[in-house]
Amino acid sequence: MRPTSRAAVLAATFVLIFSVAACGSNDPGAGASGAATGSPPAPGGSPAGSDGASPAGDISGELRVWGMGNEGALLGALADAFETEYPDVTVNVTPVDWGQAVAKLQTAIGGGETPDVSQMGTDMMGQFIETGALEPVPSSVDPSVYFESAWNTGVVDGTAYAVPWYVETRLLYYRTDIAEAAGITAAPTNWDELKAAATAMQEQGGAEWGISLGTKNWQEYMPFVWSNGGAVMNDAGEFALNSPEAIEALTYYDSFFEEGLSPTAVPEGFDITPAFVTGTHPMFVSGPWHLGLVAEAGGADIEGNWAIALHPGKDGAPGTSFLGGSNFVVFTDSPNKDAAWAWAEFVSRPESQILWYEEATVLPAVQAAWDDPALGDDENLALFGEQLSSTSTQPAIPTWSEIASSLNDQLERVTAGDASPEDGAQAMQDAASGIGTGR
Amino acid sequence: MTALSQGRTPPQPPAALAAAGPSRSRVDRRARLFLYLLLTIGLVLMVAPFAWMLLGSFKPQAEFLRSVPTWLPTNPTLDNYERLVARLDFPRFFFNSTVVATAVTAGNLVFSPMLGYALAKIHFTGKGVLLLLVLATLMVPASATLIPNFVLMSSLDLVNTYPGLILPFLAGPFGVFLTRQFFQGLPDELLEAARIDGAGEFRIFWTIAMPLAGPILATLGILTFLGSWNAFIYPLVMAQEPEMYTLPVALATFATGQFQADHGMLMAGSVLLVLPVLAVFILVQRWITEGIATTGLKG
Amino acid sequence: MAGSGRAVKRPAAGAGVAAIEPTPAFAGGVRATASDRGGAQRNLVGWLFALPFVLIFTIFLAGPIVAALVLSFTDFGLRDLRNPLGTDFIGLDNYVELFGDATFWQSLFNTAYFVVVGVPLTLTVGLAAAVALDRGIDRFRTAFRVGYYLPVVTSIVAIAVVWRYVLNPDVGLVNMALGAVGIDGPNWLANPTLAMPAIIAMGVWRNLGFAMVVFLAGLQTIPRSLYEAAAIDGAGRWQSFRHITLPMLRPTILFMVVITTIGYLQLFEEPFVMTDGGPLDRTLSVSMYMYRQGFEFFHQGYAAAIAYVLFLLVAIVAFVQFRLLKPQA
Repeated sequence: MRPTSRAAVLAATFVLIFSVAACGSNDPGAGASGAATGSPPAPGGSPAGSDGASPAGDISGELRVWGMGNEGALLGALADAFETEYPDVTVNVTPVDWGQAVAKLQTAIGGGETPDVSQMGTDMMGQFIETGALEPVPSSVDPSVYFESAWNTGVVDGTAYAVPWYVETRLLYYRTDIAEAAGITAAPTNWDELKAAATAMQEQGGAEWGISLGTKNWQEYMPFVWSNGGAVMNDAGEFALNSPEAIEALTYYDSFFEEGLSPTAVPEGFDITPAFVTGTHPMFVSGPWHLGLVAEAGGADIEGNWAIALHPGKDGAPGTSFLGGSNFVVFTDSPNKDAAWAWAEFVSRPESQILWYEEATVLPAVQAAWDDPALGDDENLALFGEQLSSTSTQPAIPTWSEIASSLNDQLERVTAGDASPEDGAQAMQDAASGIGTGR
Repeated sequence: MTALSQGRTPPQPPAALAAAGPSRSRVDRRARLFLYLLLTIGLVLMVAPFAWMLLGSFKPQAEFLRSVPTWLPTNPTLDNYERLVARLDFPRFFFNSTVVATAVTAGNLVFSPMLGYALAKIHFTGKGVLLLLVLATLMVPASATLIPNFVLMSSLDLVNTYPGLILPFLAGPFGVFLTRQFFQGLPDELLEAARIDGAGEFRIFWTIAMPLAGPILATLGILTFLGSWNAFIYPLVMAQEPEMYTLPVALATFATGQFQADHGMLMAGSVLLVLPVLAVFILVQRWITEGIATTGLKG
Repeated sequence: MAGSGRAVKRPAAGAGVAAIEPTPAFAGGVRATASDRGGAQRNLVGWLFALPFVLIFTIFLAGPIVAALVLSFTDFGLRDLRNPLGTDFIGLDNYVELFGDATFWQSLFNTAYFVVVGVPLTLTVGLAAAVALDRGIDRFRTAFRVGYYLPVVTSIVAIAVVWRYVLNPDVGLVNMALGAVGIDGPNWLANPTLAMPAIIAMGVWRNLGFAMVVFLAGLQTIPRSLYEAAAIDGAGRWQSFRHITLPMLRPTILFMVVITTIGYLQLFEEPFVMTDGGPLDRTLSVSMYMYRQGFEFFHQGYAAAIAYVLFLLVAIVAFVQFRLLKPQA
């Protein structure tokens, strides 16, 4: 292909294609100053709108909702309930595979084909807020209804772009029988006790390892930094990954690998569940989904021989654990924002949250929902609920994916013994500073 | 010129064997047995994951979580299949995949050989440029063009439609190369004879060249069908509503949660995904190797 | 064709798939014949035949391919998704940055490693399987052919599960087999040096069915009479393979070398599913790195630059292969 003239022609085609697409997308300029079209009813169920006419009457038309993976499939239950409340609305649910969700959302935004509402992982927020495709949450939505960390996952520069839907946090799972054999009668509550428990379980409890910690998973490492008073970024907005608190936490984290308490070479696709059930790895940190998995995998053999505990803090429980989950976002290009915000309000009602919990076994992001006996009566879940008030998570910056990847790389080097905690923390800081916050 | 091959090869003609002498046939038989053994070991290695997949589709989730994986299910169950069919609108996704794969294969079996033939047997200006173009198409990585592609389809209003899923793949570069390869080997004399007789080029192509290309077309067909059937990223991005999902997309979407995959359902889905392609392959592979009845040219 | 000790009957010109040295009567093909209808007519016909492909290419492929190229000269990122025309042109900055990107060079090395070892292995085993299943055995042919082709059609998800089990350091088949002869097998996928060979093994295993099928088709076009004649002349199996099969298959082999190399240079699925590029980026392929930059880190411009470097690489390698392996015209 001869470069010059043909490239010019084709470059013109490129320009043409993009301009057609840009013109094709709805309202590129609307919604800029954060003014939502129509205000949704305040969460809590009372349809008191400030624009006079009953909002339930205004909510009509088609509502396109994207849900991820399994949840997309189950979303029908919520959709049905929503349609009962707002009979003039037809909800159209599209499930999207988690693995490709980011790519699909990106292309949708690029091509101007976004839905009205979409589920979005809490760790995806920073990126998509940056695209400018998300509509800011109207002021009528009350943040205090949700767990603080969950709300903050969608906040950038003081503006919120997402409504929390469900959350998850991580607790310590441990084998009570192995602990007892090792002379441990109570769950570890602080760093010293955690280390002692792991050592004892390995030496006297008959387990091959003391605990299973992620060799390259920042989500397992950062809670120790947070519990020590450290953070990813300081108040001035600079990275603080090499702070004394971070180094101390990293040294502590690394000590499990140094002392042979946690395996350093974990094959990809390694599943902790069977290992926990067998007893080779008597402790691990994970979210609520493992409650069912462990019970199912272990069956009768494991019943009564395991328990969960609050994430150990530096000096006492609870420490600060990792928070994840999913939010709902509304797109600025949506032609039916009224219905979209009505949806956000609807799923935030405690009844809807409980309905969803029963459907998908995920934890409500709305604090009031936890008063419901469905959750309160379950001891294990109550513990998760307790931990939820002491969590933190990644900052909502657009470059987080890249930074997380570097963090994991450096963490891997430290846990493998190729770098000291001081060097590792410094490398993390350098990598993060080099990548920048992207804002 | 010798006749082109005609049908299956019979085993070594008895005359040659006898001529070679008795000792040779004994060695021959042992070598043959050894070959069978080697091939069977290879076969076991090849088939193992498929067997795993098949057996796994009958296992309840708990059996996937065992620390030492086992082959046979201890409590075989049809539950995975039941849930799969209940959760997925299977007929719909199957239909979508079939429509797309069939259309793409049909297109590739006609349009690609056309260009392949032209590149091999017709001398026209710009031929070299075309060849480069085809090559270029083969070499640009797909994920690089994903977003521009989607933007284009969106502006053409083809998103979430069958044409959107089919049109870009209707004439693939691989088919062009494969058929060009083959057509280059066809004797020009054969085509010349037809030309002299006054036949139009397309007629020559369709009635002489294509029939000779049987095995190649069968190969192209099965490979194209397979590629289209298993395509994932492009259909995922193209479909806006689940009604337009193809089978692999639907499978990945419905069988994975944020934290844990439903192993049994994934295996069951994978089995169902594989069966149609296998069926087509079994049917078609015979044609690949049967050889072709030929016009029997004089040498 | 190399001379052999015995006189083996040469295949006549034009037979089968191979483009053998044409005898003088056919030199130049259509051009030399008497019924030449004129250049213009041929051009028209030629382009008419090319029309469907060209149409599809122009409408659906040209735009995005060029758009991606233009993208590589920009710093297209998250902010530009909704306003693509507002993206900044940064000239060759992406390519310059790529040149100094250690991870990129690592991915390049990994990919080259995979190609250099994987292509010959895949084609050799594929050819061997094709030959064996074509003439070597007569029974159960279909079963063998279908079986060898199965990995090609099996979903990567299932393959990954099984291969992870096979490579499991404690209970995996490979290490159990090694243990039987007294070798303590390593943790394949977690070992930076051994992970890539494991991936190569998986790639070869997965793709040889494809090679087998294409070679099988190619083998069909070799006239049986050649083998019979050779047998009569007393040639053994190996000799007839060397002096009939291989030369007649040469164009198919060339074709497969080029196609397989192009495919392998774009290695993505196996490391993506098995190791996520690790350990320590030792199985990261160029395609994976491109995907990561584009869809995980949102540096679409940078990713496009990687794509075009890969494209250039593929083009150069294919060109060199053509030159080296082409039959002398």
